[in-house]
Amino acid sequence: MSRTSRRVRCEDVREILPEYAEPGLRPAGPVELHLASCAGCRADLAAYRALLSSLEAVRDVEVPVPDGYLERSLHLARAEAVRGKVRSAADLKAASVRVGAAVRRHSTGLRYALAGLGGAAAGATAIALVWWSAARRTIGPSPL
Amino acid sequence: MVSAELLAACRRGDRGAFEELVELTHRRVYSLAYRLTNDRTEAEDVAQEAYLRMFRGLAGFREEARFETWMHRIVTNCALTMLKRRGRFGEVLAEEPPDVPVPDVAASRTADRDSLSRAMAGLPEGQRVVVLLKDVYGLSCREIGEEIGIEEGAVKVRLHRARKRLKEALDEPDEQAGPV
Repeated sequence: MSRTSRRVRCEDVREILPEYAEPGLRPAGPVELHLASCAGCRADLAAYRALLSSLEAVRDVEVPVPDGYLERSLHLARAEAVRGKVRSAADLKAASVRVGAAVRRHSTGLRYALAGLGGAAAGATAIALVWWSAARRTIGPSPL
Repeated sequence: MVSAELLAACRRGDRGAFEELVELTHRRVYSLAYRLTNDRTEAEDVAQEAYLRMFRGLAGFREEARFETWMHRIVTNCALTMLKRRGRFGEVLAEEPPDVPVPDVAASRTADRDSLSRAMAGLPEGQRVVVLLKDVYGLSCREIGEEIGIEEGAVKVRLHRARKRLKEALDEPDEQAGPV
């Protein structure tokens, strides 16, 4: 094993190997050159990679769960689902209250609009009657 | 793997979907809770609290691809909250190794796992938690820092020390290892 290689020392390389060992990271430049010529540092890098691989595998090692734990968790899930539905029903009720308030608020405007339309219709009828009456006076009685 | 369809059904309040989510994840949730608390009763309390937070937080969760990381963060957060409540959060910040190694019951099926388990137990708690969350459960250093309440740089330093320490421990002749 060489102690130095292309101006990079084993000590320096070994200090950064715990990070370089991560998946996706690849030693570059002087470090890569050093590793190519230093079996000891290559072995260290391999050991770190094996360590990270072993640690990752621990995730799939499951701790034995206590008796009844799954059932208690399922009970919680059921209760939460019911709570979610109750919350949905409450949301629906709140929404209907909001719609009712909006209708009431807008119904005042609607009444004004209908009153306006009625007034306009009455006005138009009155004008038509006046015009018809005036027209009759102008034309006069039929010669027959 | 939890599918996007299952998460969508949970968001609609589908009882069956909630149950399926629990069945799919309960072992993993409990395992992480146990590894963080080292206590079976506390681990179950943490798992239950984590499920409540998950069910209620699902409505706002949209990154289906990151569901597991999100789940692990919630469990971690609940576990750390529990440790704080019990006055044990100082252990998570500790940089000194524990006096009594804490056995990891989950990692004792093979000789290699046994050695790794002992090496992990020999780490200062502050390093053990970081390596557990990063190298075992895949949280980022930034996420771990946010959960523990330390800078990302401090997380990286702990991680570096923990990996070196683990490698050294595994390099040593295993005097404790008995027949498998």
